[in-house]
Amino acid sequence: MNFGLILSTAFMMWKGLSVMSDSPSPIVVVLSGSMEPAFQRGDLLMLWNRNLFSETNVGEIVVYNVKGKDIPIVHRVVRKFGTGPDAKLLTKGDNNAADDTELYARGQDYLNRKDIIGSVVGYMPFVGYVTIMLSEHPWLKTVMLGIMGLVVVLQRE
Amino acid sequence: MAASQEKITVYNLADLKNTSDDAIPNYLNSLGFAQSHRLTDVRLALGYSAFALAAACFAWDYKFGFDSTKQFTAAAVALYTLLNGALTLWVVYVERGTVYVGTAPRGGETVRVSTATKKNVPTYHVTVEVTGKGGKGLETLKISRAFTEWFDGVGRFVAAPFQEMLAGSVAVIGRADPKRASKAREEGGVAPAAYTPEMLDALAQANVSVVGSAAEEATGSEAAGAKKASKRRKA
Repeated sequence: MNFGLILSTAFMMWKGLSVMSDSPSPIVVVLSGSMEPAFQRGDLLMLWNRNLFSETNVGEIVVYNVKGKDIPIVHRVVRKFGTGPDAKLLTKGDNNAADDTELYARGQDYLNRKDIIGSVVGYMPFVGYVTIMLSEHPWLKTVMLGIMGLVVVLQRE
Repeated sequence: MAASQEKITVYNLADLKNTSDDAIPNYLNSLGFAQSHRLTDVRLALGYSAFALAAACFAWDYKFGFDSTKQFTAAAVALYTLLNGALTLWVVYVERGTVYVGTAPRGGETVRVSTATKKNVPTYHVTVEVTGKGGKGLETLKISRAFTEWFDGVGRFVAAPFQEMLAGSVAVIGRADPKRASKAREEGGVAPAAYTPEMLDALAQANVSVVGSAAEEATGSEAAGAKKASKRRKA
């Protein structure tokens, strides 16, 4: 039971953070080099999705998922039209030559505020590389599960 | 000789304590005490319901996505925090290191045994609370003995001296187990909790190890009191 509680507490802490920041994924890993030199591949980003003091404005670094794809993209807002939850935003990676129009879904020229899962409020360099390794070398996941299983079996409870 | 075949590491305090803790319910239940599992039941109920809540949260998040289930998730997190907090309080304040709760076979007294050890000191502190039938009168007994009294040098648990310690010190257990109680009395009660400096000097000169049966025989001949040298080896 103790091991189960450890897992569920970790999960609930993640969910608590998620609810507090109003973001489905409050911690993301930078997957590409499109925001260099600010963020490198493997950095861990902390997100906040509540507009308590001001709206998401031009110049903020935001994370969004392209419709239909599960990959989070971390870019900077360069244009904004309108205000409130239906504002339209255009993003561009600092290290990219062109803006994100090609990355959006077919026929979509702007992002809605609703598509954004959070603005970056903090980061930790390099820590996210573990996640990248796990997704690029899936056998690592099996190894990790195996080790966890061993620990449970050898424990007293 | 009632020595178990499994060996534990004698230097590992957690192992010593856990093995001794496991022996107490075995011993008392074998004497006819009726064990009460209320403490364990509440703890498991709190723990598993918290786990079930987390599993449910995972399930609806997986099926319906984050946005539509935000409210439920917020409520679940709050409730989970309460359950986990309650579980922690229960374990720390209500259980307080309790190892066994049960009622005596004939007198009907409630016996509650809790144990503790201090870090890196090989002494077993047992606290026994005896409440008379009907909830009258609370007696608290504290026993502190060295683990060396019931573990041999290799790490095998020897049941007889452990049972004698309990039967000799706690009247309720002694009544239920007269054989061990009388044995404890005949050996003069409290055994020394550690080797005295004189004993250690004698051992060093005799050039034997301080733990193990060789040491017991060596100290047996030096020790004052009614202890016989081969006491721990006898059935």
